[in-house]
Order: sequence, then C-alpha cells, then structure tokens
Amino acid sequence: MAKEVEIPAAESKFVIECLRQNLRLDSRKFDEFRSVEIELGDDYGDVTVTMGKTKVHCRISCTITQPYEDRPFEGLFFISTETSPMAGPQFENGNNTGEDEVLCSRIIEKAVRRSGALDVEGLCIVAGSKCWAVRADVHFLNCDGGFIDASCIAVMVGLLHFKKPDVSVSGEQVTIHPVDEREPVPLGVLHVPICVSFSFFNPEDAEENIKGESNSEICIIDATLKEELLRDGTLTVTLNKNREVVQVSKAGGLPMDALTLMECCHKAYKITEAITDQINNVLKADATARNQYAAILSSENARES
Amino acid sequence: MISAQTGVLDQVDGSCKLQCGETTVICSVTGPIEPKARQELPSQLALEVVVRPCKGVPNTREKLLEDQIRGVVTPVLAKYLYPRQLCQICFQILESGEPEDEYNVKELNSCINAAYLALIDSGVALQSSFSSVCVSVLGSNNEILVNPTQEQLIKSDSTHILALEVGSGGKKIQNVLLIESNGDFTEEIMFNVLSRAEKACVEVALELRKAVEDKIKRDFIWKQ
Amino acid sequence: MSRLEIYSPEGLRVDGRRWNELRRLECSINTHANASDGSSYLEQGNNKVITLVTGPQEPKLRSQMNVTKATISVALNITRFSKIERSKSSHKNERRVLEMQTALVRTFEKNVMLHLYPRTQIEIQIHVLQQDGGLMSSLINGITLALIDAGIAMYDYISGVSIGLYDTTPLLDLNSVEENAMSSVTLGVVGKSEKLSLLLVEDKIPLDRMESVLAIGIAGSHRIRELMDKELRKHGERRLANMST
Repeated sequence: MAKEVEIPAAESKFVIECLRQNLRLDSRKFDEFRSVEIELGDDYGDVTVTMGKTKVHCRISCTITQPYEDRPFEGLFFISTETSPMAGPQFENGNNTGEDEVLCSRIIEKAVRRSGALDVEGLCIVAGSKCWAVRADVHFLNCDGGFIDASCIAVMVGLLHFKKPDVSVSGEQVTIHPVDEREPVPLGVLHVPICVSFSFFNPEDAEENIKGESNSEICIIDATLKEELLRDGTLTVTLNKNREVVQVSKAGGLPMDALTLMECCHKAYKITEAITDQINNVLKADATARNQYAAILSSENARES
Repeated sequence: MISAQTGVLDQVDGSCKLQCGETTVICSVTGPIEPKARQELPSQLALEVVVRPCKGVPNTREKLLEDQIRGVVTPVLAKYLYPRQLCQICFQILESGEPEDEYNVKELNSCINAAYLALIDSGVALQSSFSSVCVSVLGSNNEILVNPTQEQLIKSDSTHILALEVGSGGKKIQNVLLIESNGDFTEEIMFNVLSRAEKACVEVALELRKAVEDKIKRDFIWKQ
Repeated sequence: MSRLEIYSPEGLRVDGRRWNELRRLECSINTHANASDGSSYLEQGNNKVITLVTGPQEPKLRSQMNVTKATISVALNITRFSKIERSKSSHKNERRVLEMQTALVRTFEKNVMLHLYPRTQIEIQIHVLQQDGGLMSSLINGITLALIDAGIAMYDYISGVSIGLYDTTPLLDLNSVEENAMSSVTLGVVGKSEKLSLLLVEDKIPLDRMESVLAIGIAGSHRIRELMDKELRKHGERRLANMST
C-alpha cells in the first residue's frame, strides 16, 4: 500500500482554526468554486481540465465491437478512472481498490453512465452484430483535491467535443468513412451532469454535532487536497441544467442537518449553471476556430438587423 | 522540433511535458522515496517505470515500453548514491501521434527525452546525459527521415530508434543505450541510419541541454 | 397482461401499502451469541440480514492499528441465492459492494465512540440472506442493532430507509419492484434528530422535489428507530428477568 499523505498537527490545527474564522488558505469564500480552465486538443475528444492546481486529462476514443447479447440495440460505453503515481505518491499504479478511488469511479459512473448522459442507442450500427464502443479514459495528472468534479467536467466536455467517423450500412456491409473523407458525426449527449463536492468540518466536539442544536458545522465547496485530507465528511451532488438531481452521494461521514444538505444542493445548482454555460462557450469557440472556411462558404449575407 | 516544459506538476519531485511533432507525453519523477519491501534493493536505487497509454488500458505494448525505458535509464542513474530507495518514473501519453497497434517508436522516443528532463528537474543524480531519436527509412532510394511524421512512419520500410549516452557537454558519445530496428533493411542501410541518427541524437542532446540551461536560469536568478 | 400498477389511483402500491407505510420490520438481537460479540437478525419486508460484530479486539494486522481510536471494518456478503435468480458471481470484489462497505464504515465511524477503544478493531460481518429493495437501509439498521448488542458505545441509533419518487408522490420503503420502476433515495438518520449521516441518490430526481422526499424519509427513519428501540427494550427486560430468577 502506498503511503498516505500526512499533514503535520500544527498545520492541520491552523487550517481548521482558519476555517473557524471564515478563512481559507487560498483566500476563497466557503461557497466559491475554483475557476475552471478547459483546454481542447487538436484531436476530437482530447480535453484537459485545470481547477487550481488540479489537472485532469480525458481522452475519448471509439472502436467497433459486438453489442451485449441482452442489449442488441445499444452501443457500449466505458469510463476508466485509473490513478497513477503521477498525481501524487499516495496513489499506486493500477491499484483501484482504495476507498477513495472506488468512490470516485462509482460517482463518475453514476453521474455520467447510469444517468444516460450518452445516448447509447445512437451507437448501434447493425442491431445485434455491430456497434460503437466509446471509451473515456480519465488521466489524473496533478492532485490538489476535487478529482471527482474535475473528471466529471472533463468526461462531459470530451463527449460533447468528440466526433466518431461516419458509417454507412448496406445490408450487413458496414463502411467506415475516414475523417478526411466525410465529416465525422458527434455523439448524442442527452444532458450534461456536473458534480459539485462539498466538504464538512466539525469545529466543536462530536457530542455537539450529534446532540446539539447549533448546526455549527462548516461547509465548504471544492476543497483543496489539504482540506480534503482534514475533512470530517463529504457530499457530492450531481445536477444538470434541467434542475434534475442526477446523483447525490454522502457516503457516511459527519452527520449533517437535512436542511443544510438541501441548501448545498441549491448552491450546487448555481455552479452547475455557470459551468454548463462555460462548457458551451468553450465548445462554440472551438467549433468556429476549426471551421475557418464557414464564412467563405456561407451564402448568407450579413443583414442589418 | 522538440518543445518541453519542466516543473509542470507539483505533487511530484520532477516533471516534464514534452512535445515532439505529433506526440505529446508528460513524465513525472518521484524519488528518492521509501520503497515497498519487495522493491527494495540493499545496495542501490530501485527503479519503477510506469507507462500509461492515451487510450485504453495498459497492455503488453506498454510493458515493453516500460522495459525499454528502464534499460535506457538504469545505466545512467547514479544508483549507488541511493541505496534502499526508490525512484518512480511515470509517463502519461497525451497524444500518441502514431497508430498504436503497430508502432511505438515515436512514443518511446518522446518518453526517453522527457525522462531526461524530468530526472534533471527532480534532482536525482545522473552519471551523464542521454538523448534519443527515431528514424524511418522510406522509399526506393532509402531516404532517411529523422523524427518522421505519422504519414511518413506508415509508409516507411523500416523504423529505428537510437538512444545515446552523451558526455562532455554534448561533444562526446560515451555509450549506446538502445537500438531498436523494425522492418526490412540491409546492413548498409543500417550503417547509414546509425551515422545519421548519431548526428541527430547529438543535436537533440544539445537542444535538451538548452532547455536545461533555460530552466536553471529561470530557477535561480544569479545576481552579482 | 397489463403493466404492473406501481401506484394505483386509489393510493395503493403493489403490495397493498399506502404511500407512507413501512414494510413489516422484525428484528432480534443476540441471535448468534457464540459466534460473535454482538449479533442481530433483521427482516425488513423480504430483506433478511444477519449482522455479526466482533470486537473491540486486537487488530489482525499491525497496519490496521490506530493508537488513538478503534478501526471499523465491514465485510459484506451478499449471498448468491439472495435474489429470485441465482447469481453467477459471488459479488465479493464488485465495485458496488466495495462502495457499500466504504459507505457503511464511514457512516458508523462518526457515530461509534471510537476514542474509547484505542488500538482495537471492530469487525462487522454482514450476510444478506434475501434481498428485496432498499438493501442499504436494512444493512444500516442491522449494524446499529448488532453494535448495541455488542455493547459498543454509540452516540445514537442510526436508522436507514429508502424512499422513491413516483411521478410526484414520494413512496416510503421501496421493495425491489418499486425500486426498479422509479428513482430512489437512501437515508441514514441519526437518532431522533434531522441529521443525515448517509444520503444516496442514484437516479434522476427533480431538485424541487428533494425536500419533500427527505421529509418523508426522516419521518420513516424515526418510525424505524422506534420499532428497533421497542425490540431492544423488550430484549433487555427479558434478560433482566432471567438474571433475577
């Protein structure tokens, strides 16, 4: 087992004392999400998401395979979130049975795959014999907390950006048209889930938390690595722009008042809206940059409005 | 041809993002750290090399890359300075730049050069510098191309990769660390490739040296 | 054949319950007195769960030892015959099971007074004999009972329940037919408070309906807590009576 990161007692006291005084080490407010930077690569479906020092790379790829026997009309979709020591020495290569790794991959799985964010029926080519298998490979490059949030954004931007080669079918004969021959087709993305993680700290003792009425627990959004290591509990809310809760996971940890948790959900919605808009803008800018001939080829005249 | 940035990651001791043509890799070095019991070597530094592909899960292909990189790095590291310690070198391919199921030369080449810069960034002691270059031989007149593009690579008859240990500021070649050749070629072509690749390798070494110089200038501001 | 009516216009569910009715909950503690330090057997509807607690005891591995507090481990065994169709795999290292184990450990870590038992380990083994929806909530209830039987100090009960949302009606304590037909929420509530130790939502639910779902869930959990408390007191009285004779 790889060694856990340990924080000196003095530093952990300092961080918690700061939180008690409404301060965070990176001078953010408690409900402030780090600014998200989305970079798109030259290829379709190549995304790097940076949130503060956290850096996640996601690559979407597709191949043709046979669909599952019990679901002949559906394509395949996998998400792999494997860690390597690159993100930090606390991660072990190829070992994904650690508690946090399992929770992270399960939450991404529920948020994106099980919620039907990708239209898998649209991946079917010939029912029962041929379909697309889409893979999202998430690579954690640098760890400073918020892996779940960053990788969810990375996967969703990747899926929205990715284009698969066009195919034409005549009978059982399937032709794949290379990208330079025919314009590739985008994937069917049905909604864009965004994960927002909250971290809870208990400034009082355990008795006050469980029996007390004060609800003095501290709740912060988008913790950094240090805050993540010191927190008493966590909650990850996944929402989309349609005001739907896609997934909520508070797997134990510090007991929190139900109303506080509801408040968290509402705060998360605002962040979800902002990030969804940002994603759309990034994709739009990329599309216009790629299609530099659009203005020349267009027969539309500029109109005075 | 090569553009590199060092110190891109901050959870590790040394890192480097290197782009060579269409291929982009990111390399991290952590060490010397405490090894697991089974990795520990009583008298020298243990080395763990991890290569993670751009798409899909690590395969036998990545295992082969790991072994080849280990073969290049092991003789250069000053292993006896760090007994009972471990050095982790991780590579993440961000863009392969070649058909992954048939070739691995471009990735291997970029990985070796990235490893050099990341090792220097980490401060783990090296005995000398090293650099690598990949070469493809193309067409009926056996044209030798250094750092081929994807298209040239696919059309080529044979591909070669050469990694050299370079000493005294890039002036002296001390050792051959790796030669791998694939495809159809004659003895004559091989010798031509070697002499061409040797020159290119020294050029790359000088280029990397420049990158290191820049880095050091930025890291330490010497004031009179 | 007409489609199964999940919630009839008259307000009845597939098994004849109303929207706010729990399933039959029967539990007993100290069921495996020789095999463990604390045990419980819980039936919540058709869920049948045996929970065994051993400890606090010396950790089996040195690495599991913590000098300031006890460590909790949960081993979840979902038997192959627990569903109508016998499953081919043993579920043991499935990610879903690993996730459930982690969630259970983290739920009880904050509720057990771990600092009273430094350098020890509390091992919880769960055997699911039969499952019929809302498994996670039954596991929580089973563990609470078994920990109490083992005499391990806790701050309060944690009671679990699952709630579904059918169109706009929240339905309390889902069985597997209902669970497959709608999205569900699992809660773990601390004692008589409104504090949630565990909250899992696995499918889409409108944000504006969450509040009513949570309210029903908390009320349901409090009812389950009462039922468990009643059984425990009955057990205690019986023991006392035995001792005095």
